[in-house]
Amino acid sequence: MIASPHLTSSVLERFDPRVLAALEGLELKARYVMEGFLAGLHASPFHGFSVEFSDYRDYQPGDDLRHLDWRLFARTDRLHVKRYLQETNVRFYLVCDTSASMAYRGTRAWGTKLEVARILAAALAWFLLRQHDAAGLVAWSGSRAAPHYVRPSQQPAQLGLVLGQLEALRPAGGPCLARLLDQTARLVHRRSVILFFSDLLEPAEDVALGFKQLRFYGHECLIFQVLDRDELEFPFGEAQVFEDLESGLRRAVTPAVAREGYLARFGQFMAHHQELFRSLEMPASVVRTDENPWEALAMFLAQRKRRP
Amino acid sequence: MNFGLLQPWLLLGAIAVAVPIWLHLRRKEEPNLVRFSALRFLDDSPQARSRPLHLRDLVLLALRLSALLLVAAAFAWPYRREPERAIVRESRVYILDNTLSQQANGGFGRDRTRILDELDRLGAEIQVAAIELTALPRVAVGFGDDREVARQRLRDLTPSHQRGSYLAAFRQAHNLLANSLGQQRRIVFYGDHQANQWTEEVNSPPFLERVRLDVAPPPATNAPTLALAEPQLQRVFLGDKAVVHFTAKLTHSGGVTRGQITLRANDQLILNRPVDLAGQPETIVLQAQWEVDPGLWLRGEAGIEGAPDALARDNRVFFVLPPVRVGRVALLARSPYLRLALSPEVMRGYWATRAIEPAQLGEELGRTTDEDVLVVESNYLQSHEARQLVGRYLEQGRGVFLLLDRVAPAIHGALRELGFALPAAPDPTPPAPARLQYFFSNHPVFHPFSSPDYGSLLEVEVRPTSRLDALEGMPLLFSESGDGLFFQGTKFPGRLFVAAFGLDREQTSWPTHLTFIPFLDLCLQNLRPEDATPLEFEPGATAVLSLPAEPPVREVVLRDGTQELRRHPVDQGQAQIRLPDRPGWYALTYDTGIVPERFVAVNPSPKESQLTYLTAPDALRLWQIERPNAAAPAPAALPARLSLAAIWQQRLWWWLLVAGLGALAIETLWTSLRRHSV
Repeated sequence: MIASPHLTSSVLERFDPRVLAALEGLELKARYVMEGFLAGLHASPFHGFSVEFSDYRDYQPGDDLRHLDWRLFARTDRLHVKRYLQETNVRFYLVCDTSASMAYRGTRAWGTKLEVARILAAALAWFLLRQHDAAGLVAWSGSRAAPHYVRPSQQPAQLGLVLGQLEALRPAGGPCLARLLDQTARLVHRRSVILFFSDLLEPAEDVALGFKQLRFYGHECLIFQVLDRDELEFPFGEAQVFEDLESGLRRAVTPAVAREGYLARFGQFMAHHQELFRSLEMPASVVRTDENPWEALAMFLAQRKRRP
Repeated sequence: MNFGLLQPWLLLGAIAVAVPIWLHLRRKEEPNLVRFSALRFLDDSPQARSRPLHLRDLVLLALRLSALLLVAAAFAWPYRREPERAIVRESRVYILDNTLSQQANGGFGRDRTRILDELDRLGAEIQVAAIELTALPRVAVGFGDDREVARQRLRDLTPSHQRGSYLAAFRQAHNLLANSLGQQRRIVFYGDHQANQWTEEVNSPPFLERVRLDVAPPPATNAPTLALAEPQLQRVFLGDKAVVHFTAKLTHSGGVTRGQITLRANDQLILNRPVDLAGQPETIVLQAQWEVDPGLWLRGEAGIEGAPDALARDNRVFFVLPPVRVGRVALLARSPYLRLALSPEVMRGYWATRAIEPAQLGEELGRTTDEDVLVVESNYLQSHEARQLVGRYLEQGRGVFLLLDRVAPAIHGALRELGFALPAAPDPTPPAPARLQYFFSNHPVFHPFSSPDYGSLLEVEVRPTSRLDALEGMPLLFSESGDGLFFQGTKFPGRLFVAAFGLDREQTSWPTHLTFIPFLDLCLQNLRPEDATPLEFEPGATAVLSLPAEPPVREVVLRDGTQELRRHPVDQGQAQIRLPDRPGWYALTYDTGIVPERFVAVNPSPKESQLTYLTAPDALRLWQIERPNAAAPAPAALPARLSLAAIWQQRLWWWLLVAGLGALAIETLWTSLRRHSV
C-alpha cells in the first residue's frame, strides 16, 4: 500500500514528449504514460484492487475441491479451503469531449488537446483493466448522430474496443459538453466512476445541470480539464486575426491590448468551474498539453486511495 | 468567308481554362490567421466572417485564359474556306466501264479522257464521284475528294480483263447519289453498251429515282473480233497410251477470214497452223489431242491471231489439268470382260480394282472405308446386302456403275429406289439388238467421242436387258429407235450411271470395241468424287480453296512463275483467294514452300468477247421509277473542303499559337513585376 502517490521532480523529468510522439498507436502511448507513471510511484497501487488471496477456512462438505490447499494439508494434515477477496464492483466510464476546440495545439504542446485527452483516457483504461476493473467509454463526435459508447467490461478484449473507439475520435462541431453529459446520464445506470476529459470551454451554467444530474444519480465524477498554454496565458505578441475553431468567427486582435481582458475573463471562467466542482464534490485537475500528464494521474490515484 | 477546323476535337483542350479559374477562386491561407479555441474570451461579440469568393487579379486571369484558349484553338488548326463554294447544285456520278469489252479499240482510255476533260470544266457547285465498273464495281472517286485527287485517281486506273455488271454499277451510283447534297442528281455512263450486258439484266426491278441519266453513245458499228474461250481438257486412257483431249471455242465476226492457231503445253509447241475462217460459222470448236505424261500437271495456252480484231486481249486461253490420281474400284460383277478391263494389266496406274465376293457381302458392309467407285451388276441386287452397299456408296457421295445384266422381280424395287423403273409386266418380246445412235456429246463421258480419233460409238451394238425409264435421272445414250440405253441418276449425292445392258458377249459387242477402255475410264473418272474446287476462274474473281487437313497449312501463296503475288491466310482448312486481273495460269504454294501444290487458270469471260452493241437499251428506261410530281430536293450546303496542302499553307493556326505564347509571356512578366512590387 502507498501512503500517497506523490511524484518526485526527477521522475517527472523522465517524461519525454518526443518519445511519446515516436510511439505508434494509442496503446503504446498509453502504456508509456501509465507505466512510466507507475514506475515513479513509491509503492505499487495495485494491492487491494484485484482478486487477492485473503485467508483460509476449514473445509466443509460440498466445497469445491479445487480450492483445497494441498500443501497446507501435507504440512498440517487438515483440510483448508482458500478464501479470496471479492473483485471490485466499481465501473469506470471514460467520457471524452470531441468538440472542435479540442483540436487546438499550441506551439509548445506535445499534442492537441484531444490527443492528450485520448492518451490519458487510454492510459487509465489500460490501468483499470489491469486492475480487473470494468472500464467503458462515452464520447460524441460532432458529426455523429449517436455517441460512441463502449459498455464497461473486465474482459481482456475490452482494451482493444476502448482504444479503437478512442482512435476514431475526431474533433469537430461546436460545443457539445452539455449534450454529452446528458447522454452520459442516460447511458450510465448503475453507480459508477465517470472520468471526464474536456477543455470545458463552455459556460459553466450550461454544463452545471449535467454535472448536477450525474451527481444526483450518485455517480462519482473526476474531471480532467485539458487546456493549452496559449489558453491559459495568451502569450501572443503581434496583431493577428483569430478564428474560432468551433464557430468559424473571426476577430482581428492586438494581443498586447487584449491580453489583460482575456486573462481576466478566463480566470473568471475557471473560477466558476472550480466553484461548481467544489460544490458538487468533483475532483478536478488541469492537464496542460505542454506538461507531463502524470500529475493528473496522481490526482486520480490519490482520489481512489481515499475511497473506502 | 467562314472557318473550319481540321482537328476540332482538340478544342477539348479549352477545358483547361478551368484550372486558372480554380486557382483564382481557391481559398488562400492567410499568413496572420490563428485558429484559436478560446476566442470567446477575447471579445463578447466577435465579428462574423464575411469572405465571399471573388476573382482577384482579373488581368492575370484574363491573360491565362487567353493563352490557354488561343493555344487550344491553334491545335484545333483553323482554316478559312470560301462560302460561295458551299452550295451544291448537282451531284454527278460517272460510271467508267473498265470491262474487257470496253478495251476494244481503246474505249476505256478514250472515255477516261472524256471524264478528265469534263472534270476540268465543271465548277465547284457540281459534286463529282466516279465508279470503276469491274468485277466488283468500286468507288474510284468519292464526293469528298478534291478535284486534283480525282484526276489522279482516274489516271491511275489501268485497263482490266474483268467482266462487270452494268446493273451493279448503276445501283452503286444510285446509292452514292442517295447520300449526296446536290439539287440535281445525275449518272453519266461511259461504256461500250455491250448488248449482252443490257439484255441479261433487263428484268431487274426499277430502282433509279429522281436521277437523270446521261449515256455516252455506243460505237457506231459492231467491232470485228477474234477470240478463243472455254477451254476444256480431258485425259483419255486408250489402254496403251494416255492422251489429253483439248477443245476450245473459236469465235470470229466482222470479216475475219484467216487466223493462225498456236497451242502450247508444258513449254512444248503442240500446234501451230493456219485456219481458214471464211465462210465458217461464227463459233467453231477447236479440238486437239496429244500424248502426255499422266503423272504431271498439264498447263498451257492456246492462241489465235488474225485481222481485223478490235480486241486482242481475248485471243489467248489458258488451261491447267491435274495429274492422274489412281482410283479405287470395288467390283461386284461376273462379266469376264469387265474383270479383264479392270485388271491391273490394263488399268495399272489408273485404277486399282478389288473384287467383292458375293459370299462376303456381309463383311463388305462392315468395312469402314469404301472405294471410290462400285461397279455392280443388277443380278446381285437381289441380295439385300448388295442393295445396302449400293445405297451406302451413293449416300456417301461415291460413285456406282450399275449394269442391268438381268431382270428379276426383286430388282424392280431396287431400281425404283435408285430412281429408275422397269416395265410393270414382263415384256413378251425382249428388245431387239440395237446400235448406239445418239449420245450426249456435251457430257464429259461422251465429249471426247465427238472426235473420231477415239473410235466411233455408232459401231457398237447392244441388246438391252429391258426397257428402262428414268424417274430421277437423264438418258445419255440412245438406240436407233430412241430408247435410252445409258442413264445418269440424279437422286443421290453420289453419281450413278446405269447401263440398260450387261457386258456379256450376248448382250453387247462393246467390250471388244476400240472405244470400250476409254469409255470405261471416262465413266469411272466421272463417277469418282472430285475436288469441288474449279481450276479455271475469271480475272479478279474470288475463290475459296479447301485445303487438306494434313499437313496443316497456314497460308496459301499465289505465284506467277517464281514471283509471289499474294499471300492468303488459311482459316479452318479454307483459304479465300483473289485471282489476278491478268489472264494466265498461276501456281499455288503453301506456307514457305516453293513447289507448286496446284495450278489455276485465269481466262476472260467469253461474254466479253461478244462485241455487239445496243444503241437504245431498254434497261435504262425500265430501271427508272417514274414519279413526275416528285419535288426536287432543295440545294444543300456542302461543307466546303480544301486540300490538306492548301490548309497547311494557311497560317491561322500559327498566329493563334504565337498569340497564346505571347499571352503566356505577358502573364509571366506581370507576375514577376507584382512580386517585385510586393
